[in-house]
Amino acid sequence: MELSLIKKQLFTAQRECCSRGLLQSSKWLAELLFALEEVSCEPMDEGWETKGLEAEHERYLLAKNYFDLREYDRAAFFTTFAKSDKLYFLHIYSRYMAGEKRKNDDRIETLVSVPETSNHYLRELRCELEKRHTADTLDGFCLYLYGVVLRKLDLTLDAVNILQEAIQKEPAHWGAWVELATLITDKDMLSSITLQDHWIRQFFLAHTYLELQMNEEALRLYLDLQENGFKQSTYIMAQIAICLQNLQEVDQAVEAFVQLQKVDLYRLDNMDTYSNLLYVKDMRIELSHLAHHVCEIDKYRVETCCVIGNYYSLRSQHEKAGLCFQRALKLNPNYLSAWTLMGHEFMEMKNTQAAIQAYRHAIEVNRKDYRAWYGLGQTYEILKMPFYCLYYYREAQKLRPSDSRMLVALGESYEKLERPRLQEAKKCYWKAYSVGDLEGLALIKLARLYEKLAEDDHACAAYAEYISEAEALGITDREEQSQAYKYLANYHVRSKQYDEAYTYAQKCTDYPETREEGKALLREIAQRRTTCEPFSGASDLPTPVTDARPAVSESTPLSRLSPINLRLTFTKELY
Amino acid sequence: MAGEVETDLVMQSHINLDKLRGFVRMYIDKHQYKSALFWADKVVTLSNGETPDVYWLSQCLYLTGQYHRATHCIETRKLHQTNAACRFLAAKCHYEAKEYHEAIEILYWPENNSTKTPEKGLDASVTTANASTDVLLTNVESNVSLLKGKIYEAMDNRALAVECFTAALKQDVYCYEAFELLVQHHMMSAEEERKLLESLPFSSQCPEEEMELLRFMYEVKLKKYDKPLSLVVPATLGALGDNVDVVVNLAERHYYNCEFKDCFNITSAVLNKDPFHSDCLPVHIACLVELKKPNDLFYLAHKLVDLYPDKPVAWFAVGCYYLLVKKNDAARRYLSKATTLDRVYGPAWLAYGHSFAVENEHDQAMAAYFKASQLMKGCHLPLLYIGLEYGLTNNAKLADRFFSQALAIAPSDPFVLHEMGVIAFQNHYWETAEKYFSEALSSIEAGQQCVSVEKWEPLLNNLGHVCRKLKKYEEALDHHRRALILSPQNPSTYSAMGYVHSLLGNAAMAVYYFHKALGLRRDDTFSTNMLEKCMQQLLNELNPCEDVPDDLPIPINRSGVEEIITETVDDSELAGSHEQQPNLSSFLANTSDSVLVEEVSMDLEGSS
Repeated sequence: MELSLIKKQLFTAQRECCSRGLLQSSKWLAELLFALEEVSCEPMDEGWETKGLEAEHERYLLAKNYFDLREYDRAAFFTTFAKSDKLYFLHIYSRYMAGEKRKNDDRIETLVSVPETSNHYLRELRCELEKRHTADTLDGFCLYLYGVVLRKLDLTLDAVNILQEAIQKEPAHWGAWVELATLITDKDMLSSITLQDHWIRQFFLAHTYLELQMNEEALRLYLDLQENGFKQSTYIMAQIAICLQNLQEVDQAVEAFVQLQKVDLYRLDNMDTYSNLLYVKDMRIELSHLAHHVCEIDKYRVETCCVIGNYYSLRSQHEKAGLCFQRALKLNPNYLSAWTLMGHEFMEMKNTQAAIQAYRHAIEVNRKDYRAWYGLGQTYEILKMPFYCLYYYREAQKLRPSDSRMLVALGESYEKLERPRLQEAKKCYWKAYSVGDLEGLALIKLARLYEKLAEDDHACAAYAEYISEAEALGITDREEQSQAYKYLANYHVRSKQYDEAYTYAQKCTDYPETREEGKALLREIAQRRTTCEPFSGASDLPTPVTDARPAVSESTPLSRLSPINLRLTFTKELY
Repeated sequence: MAGEVETDLVMQSHINLDKLRGFVRMYIDKHQYKSALFWADKVVTLSNGETPDVYWLSQCLYLTGQYHRATHCIETRKLHQTNAACRFLAAKCHYEAKEYHEAIEILYWPENNSTKTPEKGLDASVTTANASTDVLLTNVESNVSLLKGKIYEAMDNRALAVECFTAALKQDVYCYEAFELLVQHHMMSAEEERKLLESLPFSSQCPEEEMELLRFMYEVKLKKYDKPLSLVVPATLGALGDNVDVVVNLAERHYYNCEFKDCFNITSAVLNKDPFHSDCLPVHIACLVELKKPNDLFYLAHKLVDLYPDKPVAWFAVGCYYLLVKKNDAARRYLSKATTLDRVYGPAWLAYGHSFAVENEHDQAMAAYFKASQLMKGCHLPLLYIGLEYGLTNNAKLADRFFSQALAIAPSDPFVLHEMGVIAFQNHYWETAEKYFSEALSSIEAGQQCVSVEKWEPLLNNLGHVCRKLKKYEEALDHHRRALILSPQNPSTYSAMGYVHSLLGNAAMAVYYFHKALGLRRDDTFSTNMLEKCMQQLLNELNPCEDVPDDLPIPINRSGVEEIITETVDDSELAGSHEQQPNLSSFLANTSDSVLVEEVSMDLEGSS
C-alpha cells in the first residue's frame, strides 16, 4: 500500500482516537505517523472536529474536558442523553473509566485479594450496550468498548466477535486490534478469525505472533515492515528487541534496546523488558544506570517501578524489590509483568501463598504468560503438590513447546509423583535434550533416570554423550561429571571392557569426591586383567556399583540445594 | 302568637340566614374551619336546627377533627335515621374515631325504611335550602358502599370489604378510591381483577370517549408482576403518556421485569417533578434497595420522616434502609412502626418477614408472612415466601402446597415456578424440576424478547443442574453459558460447568473451570476436591512429549522423531467421578437454594 495513503489514514485515525480520549491508540498512531515524517501527504480537511456533533459541540467540549481531567462521573453525567455517536462513546467511556478508577482506588488498600464483586458497573454497561448492539446503533468505537467490557467479564467468545465487528467498522483503531490480540489463545484461533485486509493487519499479526511466542514469524514480519517504509518507527524497534529476547538472542536484544534508547532517550515503554534482559545477563552497571535514568524521567510509572524492582532484586534486596513491584501494581493493577515479577520476589522471600496469588493474577491478566505458569509450578513443587505442579508446568510447556526448561521441570515432576511415571519423565528429558538444552541438565537427568531404571545400555550412552558434550565445551569441574565417570567405569568393568573402564576410572581420580573409588576401581581392573577370569553374574559384582547407586540417587538437585535457591536462579533466566 | 311571629320576622329581617349559610360554605372553601364552625353553629340556632344546617355544622366539626361532637350533633337530632347524607357523615365520623361497630350500625340502621327516608331528606334539602347538599347525595350509594368497605377492612372482615368496594365501583365507575383500595391492598387475584374490570358498567355510566380513558387508566394499574407486558398507551390517549401516574406504572412494570436500572431512572425523574409522589415512593424505595444505594435511601428516608411522620411509607423507607445495611433489629423496629400506622400496609409486613428470614429465624419470618398473606389475599408473594421458608426448614410437602396456592393466584409466575422446581430438585424428581424450570423460562421469554436480567441467573443455572442430572450434558452447558452471560464471573456457575465437563470426561476443560471458580471463591471445598480429581485424571491423559517415541533410541541424538503411540485414557478415573454424584447433588441443591433466598428477599419491596 502506498505510504502517503497510509499516512493520510493515520492522520484521520489519530484525530478520531484523540478526540475520543483513546490516548494509547492515539499515541501509537502518532508514533507511527512520526515514523512517516518524510512522506508527503495531502493536507487534511478543516472543520472535522464538529463533524457529526452539530448541536452538541459545546456539550462535547465540556464533557471532553471533564474526561481529560479524570472527572469521569461528571463527564458521564453531562453526556447522559447524548445523541451523536461520538458523545455517546464519551458517555460510555466515562462510565467505564469511572468504574475502573473506583475499583482501583478500592483495591489500593488490599493489594493481593481483590473483591470481585466490584465490577457491577461492567454488568450495567454490558446490558446497555447489548441492547444498543441488537438495535445496531453502535459505531466502531462503541463496539470496541463493548468488546472491552465483555472481555473484562470473561465472556471471551462474544468479545472476540464484537471486536471483529469493531475492527470491521474502524480498521485504523489500533486499540481494538490489541484487545483482540489478547483474546487469541493459539495459532488455530488466529487462523480461524477473519480479518479485513488492511495495512494495519500486518502490525496486528506481528503483535499476535509475538504474544503467541511465535517469535520467528513475528521477527520476519517486523523486519518486513521496517524495510517497507517504517524504518524510523521506535515501536517496531522495540518489538524486534522483544522478539530477539524471546528467541534467547540476548546479546542482540540488548544491542537493539541500546539503539532504541539512543533514538528515543526518554522512552519508558518496554524499558522494564530491557531491565529483565540486563538482569538475566547480570549486567549490574547497566541496570543501575537504567534504573537511575528512568527514575529521573518519571518515578511513578509502572515501567520505572519494574526497572527499579529488578535492580533491587539483582542486589538481593528482595523486600525493596517487592515494594517496587507493589507500587507498580498500585499504579496499574493490570500490569502483567509486575505481577509475575512480584511472584518471583515472594518466592525469594519464601512466601509461597502470596507468590501463588501474584502468579494467578498474572494469569488472569494474560493467560499466555508462561513465566507465571512456570512460577506456579515451582511454588506447588515446594508445597509438595505434584499433580498441580505438573499441571502448571504443562501449561507453561504448552505455551513454549520447545523450551527445554519446562520439559526438564516436567520430567522432574513426573519423577516426584507418588507413583512416579518414569517413562514420561524419560521422554521429557529426552525431548528437552533433543530440542536444544539450555541448561545442560536434561542429559544428566536422563542418564540418572536410566541408571535408576537399570537400563544400563541407555544409561551408558547418555552418560557418554554427557561427558563428550562437557568435554567439548571444556568443562571439567562439574560434580555430575565425576558421577558420570564413575558410572561409566563401573559399567565397562561389568561388560569387561577394561580399556574403557580404565580410562574412566582414571578420570574419577581427578575429582576429590570420587578419588578413592576411582583408585579402588583401578586396582580391581588391574586385578581382573591379570586373572582374566570372567565373572558370571551381577550378584558378585564389586561393591562400588552397589555403592554408586544410592550415592547417585542422593545427589538429585533437591538435596544439593534447597529447592528455592535452585529454582529461582533458574526462573530469572526465563526472561 | 302574633308577637312571636313578629319577633321572628324582625330577626329574619335583621339577619339574612342564607347569607350566613354562604359564609359557612365560603369559609370551608377557604379552609378556615374554625370560622365556618362558628357561623354554622349560629345558623343552626337561628334556623332552629334545620337538617341542612345541622349537616353543615357536623361537617365543620368533622373538618376540625371533632368527630364525637359531630356524631353527637347528628344523633341527638336523630337525623341519621332520616337523612342519608347525615347518616353517611355520622358513620364517617365514627369510622374516623375508630368506632367501627357504631359506624356500621348507623349505616345499616335505616335499612328497613331506606326507601322512604332518603326521599324525605332529599325533599327537605331541596325545599328548605339551596342546592348545596345535592352534590353529596348524587352518589351516596357508592359513597356508602365505599365507607362500608373501609370499615370492614378496618375490622379485618376482608371478604365483606371486597364486596363493598366492588359494589361501590359498580355503582360509580369513577370511584377511583374503591378501585385503588382493591388493587393496592391486593384484595383480589389477577383473574378476579380482570373479571371485575370487564363487569364494570362503563357503557351505562360514562360517555364513549371517557370509557376508553377509564378502562386504560384502570388496566394500567392491574397486577403487573405475573405477566409483565409492555405498556402501550392507546393512540387516542397519547397525551396521557407523560402523566405521572402512567409513568409510575411503567416504572413498576420495569421493576417486575427486574429491570431495576430502568425503573430507577423513571422513578427518579418522577420524584424530580413531584418529590413525594405517594405512588412512586414505594417503587423508588424498592429500587434503591435493589440497586444497593443505602446513601440515597438514607437521605430519602430522613426527609420522609421529617415531612410525613404519620405516613407508613416514611417508616417503611427507614426500615428498608436498615434492612439494606443489615441492621435487622432496627429494621424490624421501624417496619413494625409502619404497620402500626397502617395495619394493612402489606409491604412492611413482608419486609418485616425478610428481616427475620435473613437471620434464619424461620418461624418468626413465617409468622410475618402469614400476617401479610391475610392482608394481601390477592398477592402471591407472601405465599411464595412462606413456601420458601418451609422449603428451608426441610418441609417440602408444605412448601409445595404453598407454592401451589401462590401459583393459583399468579399462574405462570416465573419466581413461583422456579421455587417449585427447586423443591422438586431437592426431592430428586429431576423431570418435574426440569418441567417447572423450563416453564418459568418460557414464561419469562413470553414477556420479553430475550432473557437478559441478572435475576434469572439462578434459574438458568438450576436448569443446567437439572439437565446434568438427566445426563443432558450439552444442554446443561448451554444453560450455564447463558447464565454466565447474565451474571458473568460467577464462581458457582464456573464450578457447575467444570463439573459437567468432568462428567463428559473433558478433564482439561473441567480443570480450567474449577480453577476459575476457585480463583473467585477460594474456600469452595467442592471445587477444590473436584479440581484434585480432575487434575489426576488429566495427568493420565497428559502427554507433554507426544512426538517422542516410547522406545527411546540409543545412541541419543538430536534428530529422528518417530511416530508416537498415544496412550489410551484410563476409564476407571471417569467412573470415579461419577460415584461422587450423590454427594454433590445435595451440595448444589443447597447452593442454588441459598442463592434463591437471597434473591427473593431482595424482591420484597416490589409487592407494594
